Amino acid sequence: MPLDTSTYNLALLRVDGRRWNELRRVHAQIRTQAAADGSSYLEMGHTKVMCVVTGPSEPGPRRGTGGGGAGGAGAGGAAEVVVSIVIAGFSSVDRKRHGRGDKRTLELQSTVANALAASLHIHLFPHSQVNISLHVLSQDGSLLAALINAAALACVDAGIPMTDYVAACTAGSTSTYAANDEGADPLLDLNHQEEQELPGLTVATLGESDRVVVLVCESRVQVSRLEGMLAVGVDGCKQVREILDRVVREKGRRMVQEGTVEKGIGLNEMDVD
Amino acid sequence: MSNDRPLVLPGETIDLSLIPSHPKNPLRLGPGLRHIPPSDIVPTAAGELITNPVKNSMWVEYNSNRYIPSQNDIILAQILRSTSDFYLCSLAPHTPPATLPHLAFEGATKKTRPVLLPGQLVYARVSLANAHMDPELECVHASTGKADGLGPITGTGCIFDVSLGFARRLLMARPAQDGGLAVLEMLGGEEGGGMAFETAVGRNGRVWVGSASARTVVVVGRALQETDRGRLGVEGQRRLVKKLVREMS
Amino acid sequence: MPRDAEPSLNEKQFVITALQENLRLDGRELDQYRPLELSFGDQYGAADVQLGKTRVLAKATAEVTVPYTDRPLDGIFTIATELSPMASPAFEVHRPTETEVLLSRLLEKTVRRSGALDTESLCLVAGQKCWSVRVDVHVLSHDGNLIDASCLAVVAALRHFRKPDTSMDAGVLSVYTPAEREPVPLSWLHSPFCVTWSFFGEEGEIAVLDATWLEEQVRVGSCTVSLNKHGEICQIAKLGGTPVDAVSLLQCTSVALTKVKEFSGLLDRKLAEDLKRRDKGGFMSELRAENDR
Repeated sequence: MPLDTSTYNLALLRVDGRRWNELRRVHAQIRTQAAADGSSYLEMGHTKVMCVVTGPSEPGPRRGTGGGGAGGAGAGGAAEVVVSIVIAGFSSVDRKRHGRGDKRTLELQSTVANALAASLHIHLFPHSQVNISLHVLSQDGSLLAALINAAALACVDAGIPMTDYVAACTAGSTSTYAANDEGADPLLDLNHQEEQELPGLTVATLGESDRVVVLVCESRVQVSRLEGMLAVGVDGCKQVREILDRVVREKGRRMVQEGTVEKGIGLNEMDVD
Repeated sequence: MSNDRPLVLPGETIDLSLIPSHPKNPLRLGPGLRHIPPSDIVPTAAGELITNPVKNSMWVEYNSNRYIPSQNDIILAQILRSTSDFYLCSLAPHTPPATLPHLAFEGATKKTRPVLLPGQLVYARVSLANAHMDPELECVHASTGKADGLGPITGTGCIFDVSLGFARRLLMARPAQDGGLAVLEMLGGEEGGGMAFETAVGRNGRVWVGSASARTVVVVGRALQETDRGRLGVEGQRRLVKKLVREMS
Repeated sequence: MPRDAEPSLNEKQFVITALQENLRLDGRELDQYRPLELSFGDQYGAADVQLGKTRVLAKATAEVTVPYTDRPLDGIFTIATELSPMASPAFEVHRPTETEVLLSRLLEKTVRRSGALDTESLCLVAGQKCWSVRVDVHVLSHDGNLIDASCLAVVAALRHFRKPDTSMDAGVLSVYTPAEREPVPLSWLHSPFCVTWSFFGEEGEIAVLDATWLEEQVRVGSCTVSLNKHGEICQIAKLGGTPVDAVSLLQCTSVALTKVKEFSGLLDRKLAEDLKRRDKGGFMSELRAENDR
């Protein structure tokens, strides 16, 4: 179904009624699974992802390369980050079976693993493994961004030391590459429809800095538009980071209130008011 | 040259007149030759047959890329990991690891032994090598207890891979006269503008080049590798050295 | 599975200290490629790319098949990559490593999804017959930067490739042998090329083009940008690794554009040379004249 982008110029509103720099509703929870070392649930619009983290623990028996994700630093002196992603058959509009050996899934796994390995202090855990398992429940664009955000939250919950949050979001441009429209506006946080029609990229940054961990662009776009898209994306990542941070702090505050955690024991770096 | 250094192929019979005979010393066979009792000597590699009537020895000189350890070779090994008694080292990629006992260093005791990290380089001698066991290394002379220049390699420098024959030529007592290799002398001499560097050549086809200046290391390393790959003669080496010095200055 | 030998600590440290002084082990500039050689085989569609000691062979073939049911008007275009033990003992046959998966995804995104080949032109009879074009990428020798070399080989092979001419006459599809009619080139829309940056240093502040295998083992991150000479990005992939400043990524992209223009010029020149070589006897030109009628 072609996306009608012509209305954007009239009202400056996108198909779902957002403005160019608006994120969709981001809803997140941490510690959703009691049994896991760390877990999270994240919604970005209608993209819904669950994440469970086990580890750092002793590496289990080696599985085939097909199912595993990617090592972080790879060296024997650091923990290995292994990511497995399961995309549920019911997650998209047309039901599709995603095999485990699907190259796209393998690429997503490797990207998430390498992105997190950059911020986690895995060198503190030699000869061990951090298992991140991600389940995609519903897809509506910005899948990679949601996966990275969910994994980052779950790693916070698991208490794995890290430099800062890795926060991700997508950015796009209002007209297709063929239009060669110099006045094209950048857009923040694409949904599925926009992702299909418009050029877009996924950006993940480390914390509040402008330093880009992941930059993935899978569509054709003029070089001149990259700068604008990247700027909007980096800005969006900062907004996402704020949201993630709020979720973690809120959870921490509630845990102290409920008495699950004594104030001052496990929450040294969290300023609980 | 071709007269005193005949070419042999694996399985050939060696002309009896080529085999040195010495009244006292027993005949010693080097790499590339195999003794099939009672009295056959068969080459196992293709190359030049070299005989030394004084030492009553003979071997086949051939170039290859895969290193097979043999006793008393000086090699550059890379530490893989440490166990309770020894370090496991790699002599070449994809070969079984060699063992280097923790105590095989100069002045090493149970309490004072060098601590080596995985990935570090050591200059060592092969103390034991046979077909059925992993090779063993040492960084100390077994009888004198002195290191004789062996031991962990530190300082700025880099490893360069060369072919085994080239490494052997570098290790000759007079590489310029016997091996036709003057490249290192040139680099340190007037053609290279008197560069200051040190090298450690391992028979496993690795050369470590160290110098305070990274630029010198790069020039020396490239000169070695290009001499090896291009099979340059002395004149070619001179031209190469001049070219490299011009490029990098 | 045999693992690749790790470089020693001395090598790792030296590569980085040298890079901090703008030096590389092979004496190149940081943004300089190794000597690039491109040659074509005797048959149409075979391209051999040598980038220093890295060597990649790509071979394009075409056969007539039935199109996919959900895309009756499109032909089939696949890129198959194989990293065999010939390139490095760490690769096994039929067991794709992560390198292989990422390489094939990148080629797929760069060449196929960017629409470099007009797949609609491969359709012969809607829903019944179409051309299936397949490019096999064989890595013959691996000394780093497989991505750029493979991408160049794939694009060169496809641009060099000629598929047999066909005609439709009263519902009968005939495919002509090269003797009957000169084969025709594919309908090619634009030529994308990959340029891979490798990042070194604590903050990823040193960016290097065309890393060798040793440098790839030491790097802290990489970013592959695919562009065509018109300045259109086909794909960007910085899949994790040490964070790099956004501004320097933008600079990398603009340098990549100049490199892509060089590749594009090189490929055009080589293709023209090859055409001249094939045309020598005048026999081919005779056939072509027949075709034009």
